[in-house]
Amino acid sequence: MLSIVTRRVSQALLLLLVMSLIGFVGIHSVGNPVFNVVNIETATVEDIRNATIALGLDQPLWRQYVLFMGNVVTGDFGTSYVYHQPAFKLLISKLPATLELAVIAMALAAPGGVLLGLWAGRHQGGAADRAILRGSVLALSIPSFWLSMMLILAGALLTGWFPSGGRGATLSFAGQDWSVLTLDGLRHVFLPALALALPNVALIARLARAGTIEVERQDFIRFCRAKGLSSRRILFRHTLPNISIPLVTIIGMQFGGMLAFAVVVETIFAWPGIGKLLIDSIQLLDRPVVMATLTFISIAFIALNAVVDLLYAVLDPRVRLST
Amino acid sequence: MTKDITQKPLLELKKLTISYRSRSQTRPVLRNVDLSLRHGEILGLIGESGAGKSTVGNAIIGLLAPEFVQTSGSILFKGRALEAMDEQERDALRCRRIAAIFQDHTMSLDPLMSIGAQLTEAIRAACPDLSGKQTRGRSIELLTRVGIESPRERYHSYPHQLSGGQRQRVVIAIALSGTPDIIVADEPTSALDATIQKQILQLLRELVAETGVSIILVTHDMGVISEIADTVVVMRDGNVVEQGSTATLLDHPVEPYTRDLLAAVPRLRISSGKRADPAFAGANNASGDDDEEPAKRAAILVVSGVTKAFGRTSFGWSRKPRKLALQDISLELEPGAITGVVGESGSGKSTLGRIIAGLEIACEGEIVIDGAHVDVTRRRQPGGMLGRVQMIFQDPAMSLNPRLPIGDTLAESVRFGSAPSMDERLAINVIMDRLGLPLTFLTRYPHQLSGGQKQRVCIARALLAKPRIIIADEPTSALDVSVQAEIVELLGQAVSQDGISMLFISHDLALVQALCSSIYIFQNGSVVDGGSPEFIFGRSTNAYTRCLIDARPERFTI
Repeated sequence: MLSIVTRRVSQALLLLLVMSLIGFVGIHSVGNPVFNVVNIETATVEDIRNATIALGLDQPLWRQYVLFMGNVVTGDFGTSYVYHQPAFKLLISKLPATLELAVIAMALAAPGGVLLGLWAGRHQGGAADRAILRGSVLALSIPSFWLSMMLILAGALLTGWFPSGGRGATLSFAGQDWSVLTLDGLRHVFLPALALALPNVALIARLARAGTIEVERQDFIRFCRAKGLSSRRILFRHTLPNISIPLVTIIGMQFGGMLAFAVVVETIFAWPGIGKLLIDSIQLLDRPVVMATLTFISIAFIALNAVVDLLYAVLDPRVRLST
Repeated sequence: MTKDITQKPLLELKKLTISYRSRSQTRPVLRNVDLSLRHGEILGLIGESGAGKSTVGNAIIGLLAPEFVQTSGSILFKGRALEAMDEQERDALRCRRIAAIFQDHTMSLDPLMSIGAQLTEAIRAACPDLSGKQTRGRSIELLTRVGIESPRERYHSYPHQLSGGQRQRVVIAIALSGTPDIIVADEPTSALDATIQKQILQLLRELVAETGVSIILVTHDMGVISEIADTVVVMRDGNVVEQGSTATLLDHPVEPYTRDLLAAVPRLRISSGKRADPAFAGANNASGDDDEEPAKRAAILVVSGVTKAFGRTSFGWSRKPRKLALQDISLELEPGAITGVVGESGSGKSTLGRIIAGLEIACEGEIVIDGAHVDVTRRRQPGGMLGRVQMIFQDPAMSLNPRLPIGDTLAESVRFGSAPSMDERLAINVIMDRLGLPLTFLTRYPHQLSGGQKQRVCIARALLAKPRIIIADEPTSALDVSVQAEIVELLGQAVSQDGISMLFISHDLALVQALCSSIYIFQNGSVVDGGSPEFIFGRSTNAYTRCLIDARPERFTI
């Protein structure tokens, strides 16, 4: 057990190292951030040189990387070139918005998708199955910007039930502002969460449907029927656990995606999340913020993977009892 | 059974006809099946694949797939027609009155739920009034009854922690949970080893004596029928061919089909002396009449000290004791003869076959094929060995590429075998003719052939590579008995005509006795006994060998 943990941790550290190297070299090759720091119209050559030295950009790249890594080890990602705040603090301030959006979106998508998939798989070939299959193709192929705009049109402009953007009223908790703690904030989070959830509902439903069809064909389900169990009990106590491993995997990975890459939805709903922060920082060549965000995303994926693996063991006694 | 003769039958099938309905066609799978079952009776339903015997079982349990429709006739349970009941009444019957046991014990239990929970669930479905404590007590009682040792600890085990026999016992316990009147057992022992099979059949017989439950036993195995059935119904192509009491039917079969079926069952001869079995006369030519003669020639295959361990070997980190699949195996293969390897599942007999064929590597040991040394610890075989050793696998459906026409499969064998023939077509045509395969098959795909035909193609594929040695790993286990005999005869002919040597891996003692000139008995990865068939079946004093012989149904032992 201990050796598994050590192996996993060392793998994670190696992954982080490689990621930081790729990110660092990548952002360096995009352009020189100095021109985003000084005022290009009024700056003299002297100003530009001073700024370059102040940011440490006069050093060779490997040197910059070593300095950066040295600082990271002490928990310092540097100061944002643009916002003049510590990059880490900037990241943390965007974290609540991203977390609440992703958690609510997945809380809608996972149960919704699983139930639809079970229903469709159980009644394979029926009208409900066909409707769910077609609906899922539609939900997966609609671009998310269009879906977001349609949701604003239907949910905000035409009916006025929900606000069209922003975070609404927030409440301070643990030093950060949270929208989910106020009713107004919840109303604000609903539409963007729905926009993020719908394609995931479709994805999870398709996976659950395929799994259900495969599992229901197996002998032990037939034997459960011969035991005289109700089909409801068979579906939830036998079929559902047996299809849950691929579901847990996809839910974990999609959740990571929501944390990091929800930029389109965040932009349209003016939701100040991490995805938007990453894209903005890349455009402004704000290297400290880009690196801090990328590191956070990598850690999030590594942690999610570990949780998924742990869930395998919880779900499947064959995994749990083999070591 | 005779005491119940005056009683009304518990279950009756009257002119039951069931059709398979798809979009394009309606095809009857059962035609006018009549049978009746009394209290405490074990009724054996026997037939080859496609006979419709499982359909009868499923119709009685009420688990027919939706494509199967009962078009006429009736199933009467205690005088009431099942098809007239609504869904709720059918559900109520299931398990409480009519329970089921399925063939594949690996698949009958939910792998993610402890066996105790699965048993409790069944008891609760059958008797919802019991309290939690009573339910648990009853499940422990049932586990004890079916012979699970230390049931209190086993209660929390998961299916994968139990052996095949134990799993099937749990399945039986679940079937008993509603104290049913009838148990429909579909091939309950077919996936089990002979010794375990014997124990499970014994358990079923005891249950009938104790509880008066009736059993409908669906099987393809005459041996099982002869062991426990009171009456037999022989089925073929959805029709009942013949039925009657087991003793009468086995001793005096009336219908020619029943006679063929009985004749095709290989019989074990315990008394030494002439071992020639008329069904396998062709095979015996291989070893010749004089048993001493082949032993004098140099062995074509010498296996010495082969050991294989499963488990991780990479970094040497894991402290897990490695499981030895094969332990210091040494054996020899006589040229132009069939050598048998017998053992139960997990004995390592298939692993050895795969190592000889170069499909797997061993940890240590040496193999000499036709005078040439082979490094068994390396995956690569020297080019010259290619095609020298060919394999025939158990399941022909799984060992042919489903996307390749038969002709292409065979052509590959000629092209990459040990003696690439100039005239591919001619070589294939000759072998097809010899194995009784029409040339029209060359353009067909495996799924268009029957199981026996597919296995013939596999034999053709092996022979076309011009091998020195053929390793036949349970080549007849997946086939019907009538087809088995043909395949065995073909294998025997191949050995006698082409001078090929064969390693015949099997769990079937009678088959091995009829075919082989020498036999090795495997147990837990070691050779525990070996010698000529006369020695093994006549004079061997090895406890395990005796145990295997005793597990054979007595009816088919002479």
